[in-house]
Amino acid sequence: MVTHEWMVKPMQQTEWIKGEGLLIWLAEVFSSLGTGLYLVSMFIGNWWGAAFGWAIIVLIKLPLHLIYLGKPVRFWRALPPFTGAWRTSWIARGFFFSTLFAGIGFLQLITSYLMLYQNGEMAGTTLTTVAGLDLILKILGGFTAIMTAIYCGFMMSFCKSVPFWNTGLLPIVIMNAGIADGLALLIGVGMWGGGVDIIMLESVTRILLLVNIILIGTYLLNSTYQSDTAKLSSKELLVGKNALLFWVGVVILGIAVPLIISLLGYRTGGVSHSLQIIAIVCHTMGAFALKYCILNVGIYKPLLAK
Amino acid sequence: MKWGMVIDISKCMRCHGCVAACRVEHFLPFSIAWVKLIAFETEERNVVDVTTYPVRCNQCADAPCVDVCPTEATYQRDDGIVAIDADKCIGCRYCVVACPYQNRTFFSKKRNVNYFPKHPETRFEKMGNVLYPHQTGTTQKCNFCMERIDDGLAKGLKPGIDKDATPACVNACQARALTFGDLDDPDSNVSKLIRDRKGTQIRAELGTDPSVYYIDSKIGQYYTSNKAPKEAQTGHYMPDKSSVENRAKEIFSKKT
Repeated sequence: MVTHEWMVKPMQQTEWIKGEGLLIWLAEVFSSLGTGLYLVSMFIGNWWGAAFGWAIIVLIKLPLHLIYLGKPVRFWRALPPFTGAWRTSWIARGFFFSTLFAGIGFLQLITSYLMLYQNGEMAGTTLTTVAGLDLILKILGGFTAIMTAIYCGFMMSFCKSVPFWNTGLLPIVIMNAGIADGLALLIGVGMWGGGVDIIMLESVTRILLLVNIILIGTYLLNSTYQSDTAKLSSKELLVGKNALLFWVGVVILGIAVPLIISLLGYRTGGVSHSLQIIAIVCHTMGAFALKYCILNVGIYKPLLAK
Repeated sequence: MKWGMVIDISKCMRCHGCVAACRVEHFLPFSIAWVKLIAFETEERNVVDVTTYPVRCNQCADAPCVDVCPTEATYQRDDGIVAIDADKCIGCRYCVVACPYQNRTFFSKKRNVNYFPKHPETRFEKMGNVLYPHQTGTTQKCNFCMERIDDGLAKGLKPGIDKDATPACVNACQARALTFGDLDDPDSNVSKLIRDRKGTQIRAELGTDPSVYYIDSKIGQYYTSNKAPKEAQTGHYMPDKSSVENRAKEIFSKKT
Protein backbone atom coordinates (compact mmCIF):
# COMPACT_ATOMS: atom_id res chain seq x y z
CA MET A 1 0.00 0.00 0.00
CA VAL A 2 1.50 3.35 -1.01
CA THR A 3 0.64 6.79 0.28
CA HIS A 4 -1.48 7.45 -2.76
CA GLU A 5 -3.77 4.56 -1.93
CA TRP A 6 -3.86 4.22 1.86
CA MET A 7 -7.35 5.31 2.94
CA VAL A 8 -7.54 7.57 -0.11
CA LYS A 9 -9.00 4.80 -2.17
CA PRO A 10 -11.45 2.32 -0.67
CA MET A 11 -9.34 -0.09 1.36
CA GLN A 12 -10.17 -3.67 2.31
CA GLN A 13 -10.18 -4.57 5.97
CA THR A 14 -7.63 -7.28 6.62
CA GLU A 15 -7.44 -7.57 10.41
CA TRP A 16 -10.35 -10.03 10.55
CA ILE A 17 -9.78 -12.05 7.39
CA LYS A 18 -6.11 -12.13 6.34
CA GLY A 19 -3.32 -13.99 8.14
CA GLU A 20 -4.27 -14.46 11.77
CA GLY A 21 -7.62 -12.87 10.91
CA LEU A 22 -8.69 -16.19 9.41
CA LEU A 23 -9.08 -17.36 13.02
CA ILE A 24 -11.82 -14.77 13.49
CA TRP A 25 -13.58 -16.07 10.39
CA LEU A 26 -13.42 -19.65 11.65
CA ALA A 27 -14.45 -18.62 15.16
CA GLU A 28 -17.49 -16.78 13.80
CA VAL A 29 -18.49 -19.75 11.64
CA PHE A 30 -18.21 -22.18 14.53
CA SER A 31 -20.02 -19.70 16.74
CA SER A 32 -23.00 -19.83 14.36
CA LEU A 33 -22.84 -23.58 13.88
CA GLY A 34 -22.44 -24.35 17.59
CA THR A 35 -25.10 -22.03 18.93
CA GLY A 36 -27.52 -22.92 16.12
CA LEU A 37 -27.10 -26.62 16.81
CA TYR A 38 -27.41 -26.13 20.57
CA LEU A 39 -30.54 -23.97 20.31
CA VAL A 40 -32.39 -26.22 17.87
CA SER A 41 -31.39 -29.36 19.77
CA MET A 42 -32.48 -27.90 23.09
CA PHE A 43 -35.76 -26.80 21.55
CA ILE A 44 -36.62 -30.27 20.27
CA GLY A 45 -35.02 -32.08 23.21
CA ASN A 46 -32.08 -33.78 21.49
CA TRP A 47 -29.32 -34.18 24.07
CA TRP A 48 -26.57 -35.25 21.69
CA GLY A 49 -27.17 -32.33 19.37
CA ALA A 50 -27.03 -29.90 22.29
CA ALA A 51 -23.84 -31.57 23.53
CA PHE A 52 -22.21 -31.26 20.09
CA GLY A 53 -23.30 -27.63 19.85
CA TRP A 54 -21.85 -26.86 23.27
CA ALA A 55 -18.61 -28.70 22.40
CA ILE A 56 -18.22 -26.70 19.17
CA ILE A 57 -18.41 -23.44 21.14
CA VAL A 58 -16.20 -24.49 24.04
CA LEU A 59 -13.63 -26.63 22.24
CA ILE A 60 -13.37 -24.82 18.90
CA LYS A 61 -14.87 -21.30 18.88
CA LEU A 62 -13.48 -20.03 22.19
CA PRO A 63 -9.94 -21.41 21.67
CA LEU A 64 -9.85 -19.87 18.16
CA HIS A 65 -10.76 -16.49 19.62
CA LEU A 66 -8.15 -16.84 22.34
CA ILE A 67 -5.41 -17.81 19.88
CA TYR A 68 -6.23 -14.73 17.82
CA LEU A 69 -5.69 -12.34 20.72
CA GLY A 70 -2.38 -10.53 20.88
CA LYS A 71 -2.25 -11.16 24.61
CA PRO A 72 -4.37 -14.30 25.19
CA VAL A 73 -3.34 -14.68 28.83
CA ARG A 74 -5.05 -11.37 29.61
CA PHE A 75 -8.45 -12.54 28.28
CA TRP A 76 -9.92 -12.30 31.78
CA ARG A 77 -9.62 -8.53 31.55
CA ALA A 78 -12.56 -8.57 29.12
CA LEU A 79 -14.84 -10.20 31.68
CA PRO A 80 -16.84 -8.49 34.43
CA PRO A 81 -16.02 -7.52 37.15
CA PHE A 82 -12.58 -6.70 35.71
CA THR A 83 -14.10 -4.42 33.11
CA GLY A 84 -17.22 -2.35 32.72
CA ALA A 85 -16.85 -2.30 28.93
CA TRP A 86 -19.83 -4.60 28.41
CA ARG A 87 -21.94 -1.44 28.58
CA THR A 88 -20.70 -0.36 25.14
CA SER A 89 -18.51 -3.07 23.64
CA TRP A 90 -20.07 -5.95 21.72
CA ILE A 91 -16.87 -7.96 21.89
CA ALA A 92 -16.90 -7.66 25.70
CA ARG A 93 -20.54 -8.80 25.68
CA GLY A 94 -19.53 -11.66 23.40
CA PHE A 95 -16.75 -12.76 25.76
CA PHE A 96 -19.14 -12.52 28.69
CA PHE A 97 -22.00 -14.46 27.12
CA SER A 98 -19.72 -17.08 25.55
CA THR A 99 -18.13 -17.76 28.95
CA LEU A 100 -21.53 -17.86 30.62
CA PHE A 101 -22.77 -20.20 27.92
CA ALA A 102 -19.83 -22.52 28.52
CA GLY A 103 -20.73 -22.78 32.22
CA ILE A 104 -24.52 -22.77 32.03
CA GLY A 105 -24.58 -25.01 28.97
CA PHE A 106 -22.44 -27.57 30.77
CA LEU A 107 -24.75 -27.61 33.81
CA GLN A 108 -27.81 -27.78 31.54
CA LEU A 109 -26.35 -30.76 29.70
CA ILE A 110 -25.89 -32.53 33.06
CA THR A 111 -29.46 -31.86 34.22
CA SER A 112 -30.89 -32.79 30.81
CA TYR A 113 -28.84 -35.99 30.81
CA LEU A 114 -30.16 -36.86 34.25
CA MET A 115 -33.72 -36.13 33.14
CA LEU A 116 -33.44 -38.14 29.95
CA TYR A 117 -31.36 -41.12 30.99
CA GLN A 118 -31.36 -41.34 34.80
CA ASN A 119 -34.89 -40.25 35.76
CA GLY A 120 -35.86 -43.79 36.77
CA GLU A 121 -33.25 -43.79 39.52
CA MET A 122 -34.30 -40.48 41.10
CA ALA A 123 -36.83 -40.10 43.90
CA GLY A 124 -39.87 -37.82 43.58
CA THR A 125 -38.52 -34.64 45.18
CA THR A 126 -35.10 -35.04 43.57
CA LEU A 127 -36.73 -35.52 40.19
CA THR A 128 -38.84 -32.37 40.67
CA THR A 129 -35.80 -30.38 41.76
CA VAL A 130 -33.71 -31.56 38.80
CA ALA A 131 -36.61 -30.91 36.40
CA GLY A 132 -37.03 -27.37 37.77
CA LEU A 133 -33.29 -26.75 37.59
CA ASP A 134 -33.19 -28.14 34.06
CA LEU A 135 -35.94 -25.74 32.96
CA ILE A 136 -34.15 -22.74 34.49
CA LEU A 137 -30.83 -23.79 32.97
CA LYS A 138 -32.49 -24.31 29.58
CA ILE A 139 -33.88 -20.78 29.66
CA LEU A 140 -30.53 -19.32 30.73
CA GLY A 141 -28.58 -21.56 28.33
CA GLY A 142 -30.89 -20.59 25.47
CA PHE A 143 -30.52 -16.89 26.25
CA THR A 144 -26.72 -17.04 26.47
CA ALA A 145 -26.61 -19.15 23.28
CA ILE A 146 -28.71 -16.56 21.41
CA MET A 147 -26.43 -13.77 22.65
CA THR A 148 -23.35 -15.78 21.66
CA ALA A 149 -24.87 -16.33 18.22
CA ILE A 150 -25.88 -12.77 17.63
CA TYR A 151 -22.98 -10.78 19.10
CA CYS A 152 -20.71 -11.40 16.09
CA GLY A 153 -23.26 -9.68 13.86
CA PHE A 154 -23.65 -6.73 16.23
CA MET A 155 -19.88 -6.52 16.66
CA MET A 156 -19.53 -6.02 12.92
CA SER A 157 -22.59 -3.82 12.46
CA PHE A 158 -21.23 -1.39 15.07
CA CYS A 159 -18.29 -0.50 12.81
CA LYS A 160 -18.99 2.84 11.13
CA SER A 161 -15.68 2.37 9.36
CA VAL A 162 -17.07 -0.41 7.17
CA PRO A 163 -20.38 0.77 5.66
CA PHE A 164 -21.23 -2.69 4.27
CA TRP A 165 -21.41 -4.07 7.81
CA ASN A 166 -22.88 -0.95 9.40
CA THR A 167 -26.50 -2.02 9.13
CA GLY A 168 -29.01 -3.54 11.52
CA LEU A 169 -29.76 -6.30 9.02
CA LEU A 170 -26.39 -7.99 9.45
CA PRO A 171 -27.00 -9.53 12.92
CA ILE A 172 -30.34 -10.91 11.69
CA VAL A 173 -28.75 -12.39 8.56
CA ILE A 174 -26.05 -14.04 10.67
CA MET A 175 -28.49 -15.28 13.32
CA ASN A 176 -30.89 -16.78 10.78
CA ALA A 177 -28.08 -18.43 8.84
CA GLY A 178 -26.73 -19.84 12.12
CA ILE A 179 -30.06 -21.43 13.06
CA ALA A 180 -30.45 -22.88 9.55
CA ASP A 181 -26.91 -24.30 9.80
CA GLY A 182 -27.71 -25.71 13.25
CA LEU A 183 -30.80 -27.43 11.84
CA ALA A 184 -28.75 -28.98 9.05
CA LEU A 185 -26.21 -30.28 11.55
CA LEU A 186 -28.99 -31.63 13.77
CA ILE A 187 -30.35 -33.65 10.84
CA GLY A 188 -26.87 -35.16 10.66
CA VAL A 189 -26.90 -35.88 14.41
CA GLY A 190 -30.36 -37.42 14.01
CA MET A 191 -29.20 -39.65 11.16
CA TRP A 192 -26.36 -40.87 13.33
CA GLY A 193 -28.01 -41.18 16.72
CA GLY A 194 -31.75 -41.14 15.99
CA GLY A 195 -34.32 -39.43 18.22
CA VAL A 196 -34.97 -36.70 15.68
CA ASP A 197 -37.97 -36.13 13.45
CA ILE A 198 -35.99 -35.55 10.26
CA ILE A 199 -39.04 -34.74 8.12
CA MET A 200 -40.08 -32.00 10.55
CA LEU A 201 -36.53 -30.61 10.65
CA GLU A 202 -36.35 -30.60 6.86
CA SER A 203 -39.57 -28.62 6.55
CA VAL A 204 -38.23 -26.03 9.03
CA THR A 205 -34.95 -25.93 7.10
CA ARG A 206 -36.88 -25.22 3.89
CA ILE A 207 -38.57 -22.22 5.50
CA LEU A 208 -35.32 -20.93 6.98
CA LEU A 209 -33.51 -21.28 3.66
CA LEU A 210 -36.23 -19.26 1.96
CA VAL A 211 -35.99 -16.64 4.72
CA ASN A 212 -32.20 -16.71 4.20
CA ILE A 213 -32.63 -15.90 0.52
CA ILE A 214 -34.92 -12.97 1.34
CA LEU A 215 -32.62 -11.66 4.10
CA ILE A 216 -29.40 -11.91 2.08
CA GLY A 217 -31.13 -10.37 -0.94
CA THR A 218 -32.49 -7.49 1.16
CA TYR A 219 -29.10 -6.99 2.81
CA LEU A 220 -27.33 -6.74 -0.54
CA LEU A 221 -30.03 -4.55 -2.09
CA ASN A 222 -29.89 -2.24 0.93
CA SER A 223 -26.11 -1.93 0.65
CA THR A 224 -26.33 -0.73 -2.96
CA TYR A 225 -27.87 2.58 -1.90
CA GLN A 226 -26.53 2.82 1.65
CA SER A 227 -23.24 4.42 0.54
CA ASP A 228 -20.75 4.27 -2.31
CA THR A 229 -18.40 2.11 -0.25
CA ALA A 230 -21.13 -0.36 0.69
CA LYS A 231 -22.15 -0.49 -2.96
CA LEU A 232 -18.56 -1.28 -3.86
CA SER A 233 -18.60 -4.13 -1.32
CA SER A 234 -21.74 -5.51 -2.95
CA LYS A 235 -20.13 -5.29 -6.36
CA GLU A 236 -17.07 -7.12 -5.05
CA LEU A 237 -19.40 -9.82 -3.80
CA LEU A 238 -21.65 -10.14 -6.83
CA VAL A 239 -19.32 -9.51 -9.76
CA GLY A 240 -15.85 -8.92 -8.28
CA LYS A 241 -13.11 -11.09 -6.85
CA ASN A 242 -15.44 -12.78 -4.37
CA ALA A 243 -18.17 -13.50 -6.90
CA LEU A 244 -17.14 -17.10 -7.53
CA LEU A 245 -17.12 -17.90 -3.82
CA PHE A 246 -20.42 -16.10 -3.29
CA TRP A 247 -22.32 -17.67 -6.16
CA VAL A 248 -20.86 -21.16 -5.81
CA GLY A 249 -20.28 -21.27 -2.05
CA VAL A 250 -23.18 -19.29 -0.64
CA VAL A 251 -25.88 -19.42 -3.30
CA ILE A 252 -25.42 -22.82 -4.94
CA LEU A 253 -23.88 -24.93 -2.16
CA GLY A 254 -25.26 -23.09 0.86
CA ILE A 255 -28.80 -22.42 -0.32
CA ALA A 256 -29.78 -23.94 -3.69
CA VAL A 257 -28.55 -27.52 -3.25
CA PRO A 258 -29.98 -28.02 0.31
CA LEU A 259 -33.22 -26.35 -0.76
CA ILE A 260 -33.59 -28.54 -3.86
CA ILE A 261 -32.85 -31.69 -1.85
CA SER A 262 -35.29 -30.60 0.82
CA LEU A 263 -38.01 -29.86 -1.76
CA LEU A 264 -37.31 -33.22 -3.36
CA GLY A 265 -37.89 -34.85 0.02
CA TYR A 266 -41.13 -32.87 0.38
CA ARG A 267 -42.36 -34.10 -3.02
CA THR A 268 -41.32 -37.73 -2.62
CA GLY A 269 -41.91 -38.08 1.12
CA GLY A 270 -38.22 -38.42 2.02
CA VAL A 271 -34.78 -38.61 0.45
CA SER A 272 -31.97 -41.10 0.76
CA HIS A 273 -29.31 -40.75 3.44
CA SER A 274 -26.64 -40.00 0.84
CA LEU A 275 -28.64 -37.05 -0.49
CA GLN A 276 -29.22 -35.82 3.06
CA ILE A 277 -25.51 -36.02 3.77
CA ILE A 278 -24.82 -34.04 0.58
CA ALA A 279 -27.34 -31.42 1.73
CA ILE A 280 -25.73 -31.17 5.18
CA VAL A 281 -22.20 -30.91 3.79
CA CYS A 282 -23.24 -28.29 1.22
CA HIS A 283 -25.14 -26.31 3.86
CA THR A 284 -22.12 -26.29 6.16
CA MET A 285 -19.82 -25.25 3.33
CA GLY A 286 -22.25 -22.44 2.62
CA ALA A 287 -21.95 -21.31 6.25
CA PHE A 288 -18.17 -21.05 5.88
CA ALA A 289 -18.49 -19.25 2.54
CA LEU A 290 -21.07 -16.72 3.76
CA LYS A 291 -18.95 -15.53 6.68
CA TYR A 292 -15.81 -15.43 4.55
CA CYS A 293 -17.55 -13.35 1.90
CA ILE A 294 -19.02 -10.87 4.38
CA LEU A 295 -15.69 -10.41 6.16
CA ASN A 296 -13.65 -10.29 2.97
CA VAL A 297 -15.68 -7.56 1.27
CA GLY A 298 -15.54 -5.29 4.31
CA ILE A 299 -14.16 -2.09 2.80
CA TYR A 300 -13.19 1.02 4.75
CA LYS A 301 -14.71 4.28 3.70
CA PRO A 302 -11.95 6.52 2.24
CA LEU A 303 -10.89 9.46 4.39
CA LEU A 304 -11.23 12.12 1.76
CA ALA A 305 -14.30 12.64 -0.37
CA LYS A 306 -13.57 13.33 -4.02
CA MET B 1 -9.97 21.99 28.48
CA LYS B 2 -9.92 19.99 25.27
CA TRP B 3 -6.72 19.67 23.30
CA GLY B 4 -6.92 19.94 19.56
CA MET B 5 -4.81 20.45 16.49
CA VAL B 6 -5.22 22.49 13.35
CA ILE B 7 -3.41 21.47 10.18
CA ASP B 8 -2.94 24.04 7.45
CA ILE B 9 -2.87 21.97 4.29
CA SER B 10 -1.59 24.84 2.17
CA LYS B 11 1.52 25.11 4.34
CA CYS B 12 2.42 21.43 4.51
CA MET B 13 5.38 20.80 2.23
CA ARG B 14 5.53 17.05 2.68
CA CYS B 15 8.88 17.08 4.47
CA HIS B 16 7.86 14.20 6.79
CA GLY B 17 9.39 16.14 9.70
CA CYS B 18 6.34 15.38 11.85
CA VAL B 19 6.62 11.68 11.07
CA ALA B 20 10.30 11.66 12.06
CA ALA B 21 9.76 13.75 15.20
CA CYS B 22 7.03 11.40 16.36
CA ARG B 23 9.25 8.40 15.71
CA VAL B 24 12.07 9.89 17.77
CA GLU B 25 9.83 11.16 20.57
CA HIS B 26 8.17 7.80 21.15
CA PHE B 27 10.99 5.49 20.04
CA LEU B 28 8.57 3.98 17.56
CA PRO B 29 9.38 0.55 16.21
CA PHE B 30 10.49 0.35 12.59
CA SER B 31 7.14 -0.73 11.18
CA ILE B 32 4.94 1.64 13.16
CA ALA B 33 4.05 5.23 12.30
CA TRP B 34 1.62 7.16 14.46
CA VAL B 35 1.64 10.08 12.03
CA LYS B 36 1.18 9.47 8.32
CA LEU B 37 1.13 11.64 5.24
CA ILE B 38 -1.40 10.65 2.66
CA ALA B 39 -1.53 11.98 -0.85
CA PHE B 40 -4.79 13.01 -2.40
CA GLU B 41 -4.78 13.19 -6.16
CA THR B 42 -7.07 15.51 -8.06
CA GLU B 43 -7.41 15.99 -11.74
CA GLU B 44 -8.58 19.11 -13.51
CA ARG B 45 -8.34 19.57 -17.25
CA ASN B 46 -5.86 16.73 -17.54
CA VAL B 47 -3.60 18.28 -14.92
CA VAL B 48 -3.04 15.99 -11.98
CA ASP B 49 -2.28 17.58 -8.63
CA VAL B 50 -1.31 15.96 -5.40
CA THR B 51 -2.27 17.46 -2.06
CA THR B 52 -0.72 16.03 1.06
CA TYR B 53 -2.72 15.44 4.22
CA PRO B 54 -0.89 14.71 7.44
CA VAL B 55 -3.09 12.32 9.43
CA ARG B 56 -2.88 11.01 12.95
CA CYS B 57 -5.33 9.82 15.62
CA ASN B 58 -8.13 12.38 15.59
CA GLN B 59 -8.70 12.10 19.37
CA CYS B 60 -12.44 11.96 18.65
CA ALA B 61 -14.79 13.32 21.29
CA ASP B 62 -17.12 10.39 20.59
CA ALA B 63 -14.42 7.85 19.84
CA PRO B 64 -15.60 4.47 18.48
CA CYS B 65 -12.36 2.88 19.72
CA VAL B 66 -13.21 3.77 23.32
CA ASP B 67 -16.68 2.26 22.97
CA VAL B 68 -15.52 -1.00 21.43
CA CYS B 69 -12.53 -1.75 23.66
CA PRO B 70 -13.49 -4.81 25.74
CA THR B 71 -11.03 -4.14 28.54
CA GLU B 72 -11.23 -0.34 28.80
CA ALA B 73 -7.58 -0.27 27.75
CA THR B 74 -8.51 2.55 25.41
CA TYR B 75 -9.86 5.40 27.46
CA GLN B 76 -10.59 9.08 27.14
CA ARG B 77 -8.99 11.58 29.47
CA ASP B 78 -10.76 14.66 30.77
CA ASP B 79 -8.77 16.78 28.34
CA GLY B 80 -10.16 14.81 25.38
CA ILE B 81 -7.05 12.79 24.62
CA VAL B 82 -7.79 9.17 23.74
CA ALA B 83 -5.04 7.02 25.21
CA ILE B 84 -4.17 3.34 25.43
CA ASP B 85 -3.10 1.49 28.55
CA ALA B 86 -0.92 -1.18 26.91
CA ASP B 87 -0.94 -3.25 30.11
CA LYS B 88 -4.69 -3.72 29.76
CA CYS B 89 -4.85 -4.28 25.99
CA ILE B 90 -5.57 -7.89 25.02
CA GLY B 91 -4.92 -7.37 21.31
CA CYS B 92 -8.39 -8.16 19.99
CA ARG B 93 -7.96 -5.53 17.23
CA TYR B 94 -11.61 -4.50 17.39
CA CYS B 95 -10.50 -0.88 17.76
CA VAL B 96 -8.33 -1.17 14.65
CA VAL B 97 -11.31 -2.31 12.58
CA ALA B 98 -13.76 0.11 14.20
CA CYS B 99 -11.64 3.26 13.74
CA PRO B 100 -13.16 5.05 10.74
CA TYR B 101 -9.84 6.84 10.20
CA GLN B 102 -7.63 3.75 10.42
CA ASN B 103 -5.20 5.51 12.69
CA ARG B 104 -4.52 2.52 14.88
CA THR B 105 -1.95 -0.16 14.28
CA PHE B 106 -1.70 -3.57 15.82
CA PHE B 107 1.90 -4.10 16.90
CA SER B 108 2.30 -7.79 16.11
CA LYS B 109 5.39 -9.91 16.65
CA LYS B 110 5.88 -9.89 12.87
CA ARG B 111 6.05 -6.11 12.92
CA ASN B 112 8.61 -6.09 15.69
CA VAL B 113 11.68 -6.04 13.49
CA ASN B 114 14.94 -4.21 13.99
CA TYR B 115 15.66 -1.05 12.09
CA PHE B 116 18.49 -2.96 10.48
CA PRO B 117 17.37 -6.57 10.10
CA LYS B 118 19.91 -9.26 10.94
CA HIS B 119 21.95 -6.65 12.83
CA PRO B 120 21.99 -5.88 16.54
CA GLU B 121 19.65 -3.23 17.87
CA THR B 122 20.78 0.36 17.43
CA ARG B 123 21.37 2.64 20.40
CA PHE B 124 18.06 4.30 19.56
CA GLU B 125 16.24 0.99 19.81
CA LYS B 126 18.00 0.02 23.03
CA MET B 127 17.14 3.36 24.59
CA GLY B 128 13.54 2.96 23.43
CA ASN B 129 13.24 -0.43 25.09
CA VAL B 130 14.00 1.26 28.41
CA LEU B 131 12.46 4.71 28.04
CA TYR B 132 9.37 4.00 25.96
CA PRO B 133 8.79 0.25 25.70
CA HIS B 134 6.23 -0.94 23.17
CA GLN B 135 4.45 -4.19 23.90
CA THR B 136 3.91 -6.60 21.04
CA GLY B 137 0.39 -7.96 20.79
CA THR B 138 -1.16 -4.61 21.63
CA THR B 139 -2.53 -1.68 19.68
CA GLN B 140 -0.70 1.59 19.06
CA LYS B 141 -1.69 5.10 18.09
CA CYS B 142 -0.88 8.79 18.49
CA ASN B 143 -1.57 10.17 21.95
CA PHE B 144 -0.98 13.87 21.23
CA CYS B 145 2.30 13.49 23.19
CA MET B 146 0.31 13.44 26.40
CA GLU B 147 3.48 12.91 28.45
CA ARG B 148 4.87 16.20 27.17
CA ILE B 149 1.58 17.95 27.86
CA ASP B 150 1.32 16.57 31.40
CA ASP B 151 4.94 17.37 32.22
CA GLY B 152 4.59 20.83 30.73
CA LEU B 153 1.43 21.61 32.65
CA ALA B 154 3.09 20.43 35.84
CA LYS B 155 5.85 22.95 35.17
CA GLY B 156 3.30 25.70 34.57
CA LEU B 157 3.84 25.76 30.79
CA LYS B 158 1.12 26.24 28.20
CA PRO B 159 0.68 23.50 25.57
CA GLY B 160 0.69 24.94 22.07
CA ILE B 161 2.67 27.98 23.19
CA ASP B 162 5.60 26.56 25.11
CA LYS B 163 7.57 24.01 23.15
CA ASP B 164 8.24 21.75 26.11
CA ALA B 165 4.52 21.23 26.57
CA THR B 166 3.65 20.91 22.88
CA PRO B 167 3.48 17.70 20.80
CA ALA B 168 6.75 16.83 19.05
CA CYS B 169 5.25 16.94 15.55
CA VAL B 170 4.03 20.51 16.06
CA ASN B 171 7.46 21.60 17.25
CA ALA B 172 9.14 19.89 14.32
CA CYS B 173 6.94 21.32 11.59
CA GLN B 174 9.24 23.78 9.87
CA ALA B 175 6.47 25.15 7.66
CA ARG B 176 4.34 25.83 10.77
CA ALA B 177 1.47 23.90 9.24
CA LEU B 178 0.55 22.39 12.60
CA THR B 179 -0.97 24.37 15.44
CA PHE B 180 -1.87 22.94 18.85
CA GLY B 181 -4.04 24.36 21.59
CA ASP B 182 -7.18 24.32 23.68
CA LEU B 183 -10.38 23.91 21.65
CA ASP B 184 -12.52 24.94 24.63
CA ASP B 185 -10.81 28.31 24.86
CA PRO B 186 -12.39 30.63 22.25
CA ASP B 187 -9.29 32.84 22.30
CA SER B 188 -6.79 30.03 21.77
CA ASN B 189 -4.75 29.91 18.56
CA VAL B 190 -6.55 26.78 17.36
CA SER B 191 -10.05 28.13 18.04
CA LYS B 192 -9.22 31.31 16.15
CA LEU B 193 -7.86 29.39 13.17
CA ILE B 194 -10.90 27.12 13.04
CA ARG B 195 -13.27 30.09 13.32
CA ASP B 196 -11.50 32.46 10.94
CA ARG B 197 -10.42 29.97 8.31
CA LYS B 198 -13.34 27.60 8.42
CA GLY B 199 -11.61 24.57 9.86
CA THR B 200 -13.13 21.24 8.89
CA GLN B 201 -12.94 17.77 10.32
CA ILE B 202 -12.35 14.60 8.31
CA ARG B 203 -15.57 12.66 7.82
CA ALA B 204 -17.49 14.89 10.20
CA GLU B 205 -20.72 13.17 9.11
CA LEU B 206 -19.74 10.09 11.15
CA GLY B 207 -20.46 12.04 14.31
CA THR B 208 -17.17 11.21 15.98
CA ASP B 209 -16.25 14.89 16.45
CA PRO B 210 -12.49 14.72 15.78
CA SER B 211 -10.16 17.13 17.61
CA VAL B 212 -7.97 17.50 14.54
CA TYR B 213 -9.11 20.18 12.12
CA TYR B 214 -7.92 21.02 8.63
CA ILE B 215 -7.84 24.44 7.06
CA ASP B 216 -7.40 25.41 3.43
CA SER B 217 -8.40 21.96 2.37
CA LYS B 218 -10.98 20.32 0.20
CA ILE B 219 -12.33 18.09 2.95
CA GLY B 220 -15.97 18.41 3.84
CA GLN B 221 -18.20 21.12 2.51
CA TYR B 222 -15.59 23.83 2.06
CA TYR B 223 -13.77 24.30 -1.21
CA THR B 224 -11.61 27.23 -0.23
CA SER B 225 -8.40 25.95 -1.72
CA ASN B 226 -8.03 22.67 -3.47
CA LYS B 227 -4.32 22.45 -3.81
CA ALA B 228 -1.25 22.90 -1.77
CA PRO B 229 1.05 25.62 -3.12
CA LYS B 230 3.34 24.54 -5.90
CA GLU B 231 6.33 24.46 -3.59
CA ALA B 232 4.53 21.83 -1.53
CA GLN B 233 3.86 19.62 -4.50
CA THR B 234 7.04 17.72 -5.09
CA GLY B 235 5.66 16.41 -8.33
CA HIS B 236 5.83 19.95 -9.72
CA TYR B 237 8.69 21.26 -7.71
CA MET B 238 11.29 18.56 -7.77
CA PRO B 239 11.95 18.15 -11.50
CA ASP B 240 13.45 21.64 -11.76
CA LYS B 241 15.34 21.61 -8.48
CA SER B 242 16.55 18.11 -7.92
CA SER B 243 19.76 16.85 -9.40
CA VAL B 244 18.61 13.31 -8.60
CA GLU B 245 15.65 13.75 -10.91
CA ASN B 246 17.88 14.66 -13.85
CA ARG B 247 20.22 11.78 -13.10
CA ALA B 248 17.26 9.40 -12.91
CA LYS B 249 15.97 10.63 -16.23
CA GLU B 250 19.35 9.97 -17.77
CA ILE B 251 19.48 6.40 -16.46
CA PHE B 252 15.93 5.48 -17.36
CA SER B 253 16.05 7.06 -20.79
CA LYS B 254 19.07 4.87 -21.60
CA LYS B 255 17.28 1.70 -20.52
CA THR B 256 14.17 2.41 -22.53
